[in-house]
Amino acid sequence: METFFSELWIARDALMEGFVRTIEASVVSILIGTALGLLIGIVLVYGPLVVRLLCRAYVDVMRGTPVLVLILASFYIPSVVGLHLSAFQAGLLALILFCGAHIGEIVRGALQSIPPGQTEAARSIGLTFPQILTYVLLPQALRSILPTWINTGAELVKASTLLSVIGVGELLLKTQEIVGRNFMTLDFYLFAGLLYLLVNLGIEQAGKALERRVAVR
Amino acid sequence: MSKSISRILMGLGALVMAVGAIDAVQAQTSSKLQEVLQRGKLIVGTGSTNPPWHFRDEKGQLAGFDIDIAKIIAKGLFNDTNKIEFVTQASDARIPNITTGKVDITCQFMTVTAARAQQVAFTLPYYREGVGLLLLKGGSYANYDALKAAGDKVTIAVLQNVYAEEMVHQALPEAKVDQYDSVDLIYQALNSKRADAAATDMSSLRWFMKQNAGRYQDAGYAWNPQTYSCAVKLGDPDWLNFVNIALREAMLGVEFSEYKASFERWFGEAPPEPKIGFPSELR
Repeated sequence: METFFSELWIARDALMEGFVRTIEASVVSILIGTALGLLIGIVLVYGPLVVRLLCRAYVDVMRGTPVLVLILASFYIPSVVGLHLSAFQAGLLALILFCGAHIGEIVRGALQSIPPGQTEAARSIGLTFPQILTYVLLPQALRSILPTWINTGAELVKASTLLSVIGVGELLLKTQEIVGRNFMTLDFYLFAGLLYLLVNLGIEQAGKALERRVAVR
Repeated sequence: MSKSISRILMGLGALVMAVGAIDAVQAQTSSKLQEVLQRGKLIVGTGSTNPPWHFRDEKGQLAGFDIDIAKIIAKGLFNDTNKIEFVTQASDARIPNITTGKVDITCQFMTVTAARAQQVAFTLPYYREGVGLLLLKGGSYANYDALKAAGDKVTIAVLQNVYAEEMVHQALPEAKVDQYDSVDLIYQALNSKRADAAATDMSSLRWFMKQNAGRYQDAGYAWNPQTYSCAVKLGDPDWLNFVNIALREAMLGVEFSEYKASFERWFGEAPPEPKIGFPSELR
């Protein structure tokens, strides 16, 4: 145990760097992915046919492909056409596209579960479509979106470990590097696992607090 | 009238020649060598989890024999070992990162095989890996001969692999083979005397002995050769030739002291000195 703590102290900077990278990748991809997903979800329900079909194809491809394949594809395919993304940029791109598709599907389901009477009533008092969305539909959809959205966030934190495959120095790769040096396999993987668990427990608690905040009373 | 036409024609001719000249210059600079020199840094693909080849030291800096080889090449290019950008990659990304141009060169304990040589161009080799046997100092068996003489009474710990059992039996035909799924476990098996010897790469073995001075010894037999080379993209002879010259002169010429220092640092023994006089590699 003592050797573990002294090794932990030596590795503190590397672990911190990896942890920050993990958080950075997760937060950025959740935020941008959510914005993208919101747009996709709205288009999936209300968009014109052609755009709707394109979005459907995007969502189906992203949801039907393993994240690892998405990450490798966004790392290699752009460089074939001459666009050189860094490993971190490529990884973010994959996570954003993955997140966007999942959120899109969640938003679609939430919007479609709202009774059509709501839209009809809003229209009859003269609201425009953007107004109906912002004042009537999205606030109601939010309640059914939240639990699955939190779940997707936790999934993304875990999916960010796959970025280690393309050489992004996030928590898992940093842990592998430390284990490669000091051979304390079990100790450091357990420690990394604990950190991931803490992050996801944090997300879950924040989500629950938010759900209580928007609950119908 | 005809004068102005001929002037226009001459002007056009000059333009065509100028464009041709630019093309020729571009053809010259299309080698990776020119590209790297113009960029001012070398992009090297390597790993970060395998000492003594490529790993992060306690300060978080990449270190190891592969890293030093890359530095020797950078020194040849810029006379500055720091003008390198390392791209960390998994072992299975070594070939795709070269073929898609993500890295200029890969130096990542890459075993040369004829099948791989169809996809990438290998440079001159800089190390030949083999498998060796690690023993506890003062244990029941003193060396390879003692292990071999003991027949089926010895147990060998080895990293799990499809060929692991066959590989150990090439050296010790009757030995019992215990497979473990990580390197630290095979060392633990040896420490706890569950195994009489651990079979592992010679480089890892020497590194481990150096890290734990006085506790272990090498059984003195190595087999299963594998040649390690850097790799570059196929079809660029100028770049390949440059890297080859840089490596050759590190192993046999002016940069030998650098190669030797690195070899001693990571493998704990000196490489053979180049013989002065006739360049023996041409015999």
